[in-house]
Amino acid sequence: MDHSARVYDNVFEMLPTEENPSPAVRINALHPLREDVDAGRSRYELFAKLEWMNPFGSVKDRAAWEMIREAEERGELRRAAGGDEGRGIVEPTSGNTGISLAAIASARGYSMRAIVPEKVPLEKKVMLRIAGAELDVMTDAMCPSPGMGEGSIGMAKTYSRTYPNRYLMLNQYENQTNFKAHIRTTGPEIWRQTSGRVTHLFTSLGTCGTVTGTATFLKQKNPKIKVIALQPSAGHDVPGIRNREELGVTKLFDPSLIDEIIEVPFERAYTAVLELCRREGLFAGPSSGLIFDGARSYLARERPADGVGVMMFCDNVFKYVSSMVKHAPDLAPQE
Amino acid sequence: MSYAHADALVSTDWVAQNLGKDNIRLVEIDVDTKQYDVGHIPGAVTFNWTTQLQDQVRRDILSKEDFEKLMSDAGIRETDTVVVYGDHNNWFAAYGFWLMKLYGHRDVRLMNGGRVKWLAEEGRPLTGEKPSFPRSNYRAKDPDTSIRARVMEVLEASSKGSANLIDVRSTDEYTGKVIAPPGMNETAQRAGHVPGARSVPWSLTVNQDGTFKGPDELRALYRSAGWVEGKPSIAYCRIGERSSHTWFVLKYLLGVKDCKNYDGSWTEYGNLIGAPIEKNV
Repeated sequence: MDHSARVYDNVFEMLPTEENPSPAVRINALHPLREDVDAGRSRYELFAKLEWMNPFGSVKDRAAWEMIREAEERGELRRAAGGDEGRGIVEPTSGNTGISLAAIASARGYSMRAIVPEKVPLEKKVMLRIAGAELDVMTDAMCPSPGMGEGSIGMAKTYSRTYPNRYLMLNQYENQTNFKAHIRTTGPEIWRQTSGRVTHLFTSLGTCGTVTGTATFLKQKNPKIKVIALQPSAGHDVPGIRNREELGVTKLFDPSLIDEIIEVPFERAYTAVLELCRREGLFAGPSSGLIFDGARSYLARERPADGVGVMMFCDNVFKYVSSMVKHAPDLAPQE
Repeated sequence: MSYAHADALVSTDWVAQNLGKDNIRLVEIDVDTKQYDVGHIPGAVTFNWTTQLQDQVRRDILSKEDFEKLMSDAGIRETDTVVVYGDHNNWFAAYGFWLMKLYGHRDVRLMNGGRVKWLAEEGRPLTGEKPSFPRSNYRAKDPDTSIRARVMEVLEASSKGSANLIDVRSTDEYTGKVIAPPGMNETAQRAGHVPGARSVPWSLTVNQDGTFKGPDELRALYRSAGWVEGKPSIAYCRIGERSSHTWFVLKYLLGVKDCKNYDGSWTEYGNLIGAPIEKNV
């Protein structure tokens, strides 16, 4: 396919690869070391990797595509035919994985049932329905507990175990294809886009597929690359990402790949979104805001004289209008 | 050291080995009641905590007559061993356990780890088929008030220090930062905690797999929070289900003889005119 002309036979050809990477956009006005750079004291470059430019709108396109392709190759999915309801997908999701899975599954003829926690923003729930998913909303996370997220994961397991002929649970929290997708795509993309000069990867933690896969690839290329994970403060309201206490549900978290975890007061995710939108023209979502704010703190502390940082901006702000209004009430239009 | 009443707990293995036995009855009680409908342990019936485990007119537990009807409709007999399990580490399963004990059911047990552990174990069967049992003629005993705290006792325990008051809610609820967890319908007018209450969030009593921590660890947990052994204990939360969980821990795992669940909890206390409240924010 010819990526330069951007003419495709189907939407799946748009999925990111080393030859067709998601954009890496330089941070200019908000460069945390702006003064040092302007004064010639630092040559540090900072880029945002815009994962919302992927066809289904987030970083999760990568894992969703590979998990579905792998299931297809193993013959684990079946389209409905005649009296056969087929075998589709059931997945617990905070939204993005579900949207990517639903879009891909629907376009390929499979059913999709998404199980989401209640606190997922309305926009994501509606997007899941638009993409063709059936939706179950669970009352998760009412009180901090060791099995956080138990409700959604438990419900998805219940469907797949009770009706194995109708539902396959891809299980993004345990499926190694989740992080392998990033070894195959995200890591090589960053390496190529920075001509191998990348020194820092800034990312959040969720299923940990992104950080584990991308860090694995980059550290194989250059073990000196620092991987900085940004986590929201406890009790946060930043959809789609987790702080360390909430990571028990994922089996893809590999702390040996992470050089530092920085906690960011979660409210700053929302103020950072406004800065990114208004000063860089980057319509980043709250998790990207959190990553930017954490990267800014790290760089202000370290003040590197040289280097290239890449921030993984997982999705854009359009799916978080209700969250933005909740945390920045001034945004609500006056009646 | 072992649990004081280890027979009040059964393992998932025990349940798997005893599926289908006539005198062993499974009851699933979930926070999110949709889960049972999708799939449950074969032979389990379900009780809905919003519609079946509390009086539907006044705010109170089920009356004795309603409890008898509930158990009879489920075909449960007084002589049956009842095993209760559910989601959220057995929150409402523990409430169901407490209610059954209150009405004198002789042999009721909690499945250690609840629904999450059953689901985590490969090969454990699930079914969407609802079982049908012949109606029984269940006769309950008069309510055992020795395991239920009312608000006057709580006020007295607070003012006189006559009992350990254990607040099992999250830290933010205890300190008064929030009145209730986000999105909860049942709430109160005021935030904070009962003066003198010790904060021991229920979540500290369970392991990652949903099972209860060991007796030594549990005892150390409560002692470190200022719990005085040998003194009566009263557990409370927001609506009485998380406190049932802690009541179970204290009474059955640690053997506290005089231990009560304050089922009115913060949604009663935090609405009382003139009740003393402490806040830490």
